[in-house]
Amino acid sequence: MSEQENSREETNEKVKELVIMRINAIPSTTKLSIGGSKTLSKEEMIEHVKRGDKEGKQIVQMHINFIRAVTSGKLITELNSLTN
Amino acid sequence: MQKGLIITCPKYDDGTEYLFYFSKAIIGEAKNRNIKIKEISDKEVEMVNFSKVVTKLDYNLIVLNGHGSADTIYGHKDCVLIQVGKNEQLLNGRITYARSCDAGQMLGEKCVEYSKEGCFIGYSLPFIFAMDTRWTANPHNDNKAKLFLEPSNSIPISLIKGQSAQDAYENSKKLILKNLRKVINTKEEDSFVLAEALWNNYFGQVILGNSEAKI
Repeated sequence: MSEQENSREETNEKVKELVIMRINAIPSTTKLSIGGSKTLSKEEMIEHVKRGDKEGKQIVQMHINFIRAVTSGKLITELNSLTN
Repeated sequence: MQKGLIITCPKYDDGTEYLFYFSKAIIGEAKNRNIKIKEISDKEVEMVNFSKVVTKLDYNLIVLNGHGSADTIYGHKDCVLIQVGKNEQLLNGRITYARSCDAGQMLGEKCVEYSKEGCFIGYSLPFIFAMDTRWTANPHNDNKAKLFLEPSNSIPISLIKGQSAQDAYENSKKLILKNLRKVINTKEEDSFVLAEALWNNYFGQVILGNSEAKI
């Protein structure tokens, strides 16, 4: 594996860790219905993220899209567009 | 084509049960406004029956609840209901709202490809909603689910009230943003994940075809 690939792999793992930390914080009474899959409990979400399967990738992508919106200022711009 | 609503409500797992319950508000609004309604629910949500109903009634508003993918919307127990290359032409010229995942990517495009009148509102990403397991027996009291499903309900409800597809699309996006702001301000344990999921629906909601269409 090249240095670049190593670095990408490391970043992916760090993102996964972050996502898992976020999910760990939610109460066990909260479930998410994501995509075409069944409704997922907190534990199931974590398992999917660890496995890196389709559902896991969707959860990670949801996180990345939100972080992008926050860091680019898009989220604030959209929230500020609300008049009341 | 005549003014009327066809709504599909499969009901075979927690996710579809919730969509079934929240769809009652859409049906209620249509009843209040004396709009003709055909509800296809449970086991009836399958391709042959759906095709027959759409062809026979020829209503101009179709609301589809259920699991989905880029080229398919599923019915009862994940049987194919609409699929690109099979029967997507059934939706041509109508206003379709698909509360399903990813269908805005390909199916939506195909539905409006051959007609200038039709419009498709859906999602180019997975449609996500949260639920509180303490309320699964009474989904209409689940405030977490309401954060997601009330903005999505507002799409067909706005259309039923006579607004254009573009207005319906924008009303829903505004409601998602309001709920996002509410969630961020509450600072509860799951606020971040709920905000991420709401943003996903906001970001992924698409309108294709004739955005000035009305029923």
